Amino acid sequence: MSLDYLITITIPMLEGAQMTILLFLIAIVLSIPLGFLITLMANSSIKGVAWFAHTYIYVMRGTPLLLQLLFICFGLPLLPVVGEYLVMERFTSACVGFTLNYAAYFAEIFRGGLLSIDKGQYEAAQVLGFSKWQTYRKIILPQMFRVALPAVANESITLVKDTALLYAVAVPELLHFAQTAVNRDFTIVPFFIAGVIYLLMTLILTVFFKKLEKRLRFE
Amino acid sequence: MAIIQVSQLKKSFGSLEVLKNVSFEVAQNDVVAVIGPSGSGKSTMLRSLIHLEEVDGGSIRVHGEYLVKDGVYPGSQKIRQITARMGMVFQHFNLFPHLTVRENLEIAPRIVKREEEAQIRRRSAELLEKVGLAQKADAYPSRLSGGQKQRVAIARALMMKPDILLFDEPTSALDPELTGEVLQVIKQLAQEQMTMIVVTHEMGFAREVANQVMFMDNGEFIESGPPQEFFANPRHERTRAFLQRVL
Repeated sequence: MSLDYLITITIPMLEGAQMTILLFLIAIVLSIPLGFLITLMANSSIKGVAWFAHTYIYVMRGTPLLLQLLFICFGLPLLPVVGEYLVMERFTSACVGFTLNYAAYFAEIFRGGLLSIDKGQYEAAQVLGFSKWQTYRKIILPQMFRVALPAVANESITLVKDTALLYAVAVPELLHFAQTAVNRDFTIVPFFIAGVIYLLMTLILTVFFKKLEKRLRFE
Repeated sequence: MAIIQVSQLKKSFGSLEVLKNVSFEVAQNDVVAVIGPSGSGKSTMLRSLIHLEEVDGGSIRVHGEYLVKDGVYPGSQKIRQITARMGMVFQHFNLFPHLTVRENLEIAPRIVKREEEAQIRRRSAELLEKVGLAQKADAYPSRLSGGQKQRVAIARALMMKPDILLFDEPTSALDPELTGEVLQVIKQLAQEQMTMIVVTHEMGFAREVANQVMFMDNGEFIESGPPQEFFANPRHERTRAFLQRVL
């Protein structure tokens, strides 16, 4: 097996990895704030709002991501009347699916973070004259984020691997090119290369989150 | 002149009546030690003065303004304006763990009062000096002992220049050898004529520093008086029984 061959099969995989990374970045940047919004809704004193958030989390966590992707990509356009307006590029619909799904998981992670904060923190802020908004922004959120960080890191790594589901909606990405090479050349080497590329991406994330945790140790 | 006037305060948690018609007054520059058995309603009474608890009935007046009148509260703006004149120190300190000692002191004047930066800096340095923790300014609370945390909490409350300082069992969560340093700071504040209400189990402190001792039992205000008199000749049978147990 020549070096030339390795390079020839690796290049399309790296191009596919760009798609993987793009989806990852879009999904993470959108789903974290959306997840936080859902956390706030779940904690809302308005019953309907809280009910909506809990139902949303239940449905998103209770059905396979693959089903959700297929539904958004191929199912929505079949809806009567509105269907024709819901036709999206496959990559776009994948971004929508990943964002909506991961937001539900992040919402639960943040809710756990909020629960861990002692009520004394709210009281201290109140007697110092903080408004509700100031209390959340300056006191509660930074602490919540710190508590949630390991779980957020975990979820982010899962997201990198879940991007392989793009395969199912026929968006060419890393795994797609590996599979093509395997079928064409009758060798399992491309699978190993794909594995190494995934490991590299998750390694970068792991190091990033470890560093972030260290910085936010408050000691 | 009374700075705080409390009359007929009532409060229940479910079927449990924690405050039954509590009335008292606190004068300017008073240092009031509130004592009584656990569950007597001392903390609830103190917390209702700064609106951490809402009472069901009765009135609280601060500087003549009603925080609550016959169980009815004004709008939240008014409540904030009245409670802003008070500071509170908690049993468990409640420092902000993600902020350094200096940031703990400076955050409220900065974002609540929008004071000038130089002024905030100067005052935080002064107050840390005063509580003997200037060298800990850049440490996070997790690096401090309990006594140090409580001194930071007192400095943090003083940053807002309150007229009245409330203490909810400020030494109860501390190791015995650390209570002295906290009581020392409170004593110094008393000498500087700060008006204070201190819920405490420290009878020595009540005797030495307070100019009024107030006894509560079972949700009721029983009696109060200057410490010499209070400890020497308690008028009420329940006070005598309590003092016998704790002294």
